[in-house]
Amino acid sequence: MMTEAGRILSLLLEGKFICQVTDEDAWRFLKSRDNAQKLEPHLNMLNRTLASAADAEVFFSAYMTLGDAERKVLAQQFQDTATNLVPLVEWLMLVQQASESDVPVTMGTAIRLNELQSVIEDTPAYAEQLEKISRYRLFNSASVNVDGQIKQVFKRLTEMGYLFRPNAEKQIYLATGKIEHLYEVIKFIDETESLSLSEQADAAISQGSLL
Amino acid sequence: MSQALIQAGSRLLNALGRHSELIMQAYLNGHVEESAHSRKVLEQLVQLGVLWRPDPHSALRLKAAVRTLLEGSLQDERNRNINANIGTALASLKTLAEHYKEALYYNRYSEAHAHMSDLTEHVYQLTESLANSVRVMFSRINNEFGYVASVEAKIRENELAQSQVSELLHQLECFRFDELSDIAASNRELRHLLVVALQQSFAKAAQELSIAQARLLDLLGRFREFQGRTRLLKGFLLHMEQHPDFAPGNYPALSQVPVLFNQSGNVLANAAPDMNQVDHEQDYQYLIANLTDIHRRADHADHSTAAPEIDISEQTTIELEKDPIQHAVESYFCEVIDSGQPRTALQYYADHDLAFDPEVWIYQVIGGYQALDETDKQFFALEPTGEQHRVFTGNFYINDITLGLR
Repeated sequence: MMTEAGRILSLLLEGKFICQVTDEDAWRFLKSRDNAQKLEPHLNMLNRTLASAADAEVFFSAYMTLGDAERKVLAQQFQDTATNLVPLVEWLMLVQQASESDVPVTMGTAIRLNELQSVIEDTPAYAEQLEKISRYRLFNSASVNVDGQIKQVFKRLTEMGYLFRPNAEKQIYLATGKIEHLYEVIKFIDETESLSLSEQADAAISQGSLL
Repeated sequence: MSQALIQAGSRLLNALGRHSELIMQAYLNGHVEESAHSRKVLEQLVQLGVLWRPDPHSALRLKAAVRTLLEGSLQDERNRNINANIGTALASLKTLAEHYKEALYYNRYSEAHAHMSDLTEHVYQLTESLANSVRVMFSRINNEFGYVASVEAKIRENELAQSQVSELLHQLECFRFDELSDIAASNRELRHLLVVALQQSFAKAAQELSIAQARLLDLLGRFREFQGRTRLLKGFLLHMEQHPDFAPGNYPALSQVPVLFNQSGNVLANAAPDMNQVDHEQDYQYLIANLTDIHRRADHADHSTAAPEIDISEQTTIELEKDPIQHAVESYFCEVIDSGQPRTALQYYADHDLAFDPEVWIYQVIGGYQALDETDKQFFALEPTGEQHRVFTGNFYINDITLGLR
């Protein structure tokens, strides 16, 4: 029998992101400073430490000190993240545009696959967009119809931990805290490389209205 | 008089019931399709004050009173009007209270009674309109201004709601309970209406409004956050379109890696079963039982494999002859019996110049002794000589063995 702390420790050591959507009990446990400090020595023993992102909405384990081996792992991860950014952002925009409310996907957003699929099927522009997204290596879909493409995309996203499917019998997906992490990554890149992305978007919108 | 009023009222209500479809259509569309209904019906409704024509060229519309009635009863979220005119309502309350007191003073009871019921009506109307305003506010907050699609529109709606809340709170300040209690003086009914009932609804409304205000600010923050995120995503895509070869710097190579990019790998692998763990025996057995199930099914599939060849070549014979060392032990035992004297194993070993390893020899002697059956064992006594380990107690090194007769 494993204790709650042990269960959460193993989740962290598996490299999982813990947020309110994926595992509310674990998230609440880690929210408490006392509990987090109890886990810290165990993590430290393995050269890891508890880290959080997006205002402590999501927890994960990070390396404490970085040697060559750790840097290698991180470099590989970053490489993956950087190449996956464009497909992921395009997917986020597609879901936002195709949903009626035009609200960005955030942690806890429920996406009903059937509704999304019918909107995309009815709108050729979205279908084209989905086709483009599903062809990226990240999703790697060979399907020619919307149904196959969207299922493959959602399957991959669930595997990678961006989406969570609370009920295996229903096609309802919840966005997890990893999405918040993704936003933070984009924000970070925006600030570090001084891209001023928001201003670019604003400029594009105002130009669009002039035309 | 009252009989006529009742008749007129029920005529109006009957008309509402009879033409409910027309009215609901007008409520939803905002105006009446005049061609779809008979002229007579429309005229009747206009006369009853259900419909009206704002100006000669526009279509017939529902009167505000009917619309308010429907909005209130249907809890329709489209209702965004908030009656914030508490000041005038309070003024009319004060006037009515004065009328009532004056009538009482001159003992005109029937007149006083009429004023009282009027006053009651006004007080409850005021409390209801307060409660209604708060409810409308909350229903809009609860569905996050779901009746408008874009985030920008939601932000505008939120700003409108905020201004309405602050207006309402401002109006609530018009309540002067000291004045009201002065007016009510010692009259029990007046006190109940003006002080107790109003105060209760005032306190409730003020409390809920402050909650609503906090929630509205919260929501505004979230909407702005949404806006920011949308812009961020759009900006990123635009940037990638304009600079397809853009690649972010290699942050993990920095001396201080930002925590966002410092995510440790998976270190946990599956554990293996420990076959010596007695507690788990049951579970293992269960697992294995399940495994053989699958196995058997697979077995059935290749039922017709060729029978294995039978080996009929000669089997190796089983060795029944004893080793020389066993013979030596036997003769050692015989010598002890013959001489009747105790003798150490190593002495015998040296005398007979045996070729085995001395340690093996001693082991074999002990083994030979242990192999005797109980009655034979009783003739012999086996005495080990040796020493304790210098550091660890309980370890005894045997150097030699003395075998003798009992």
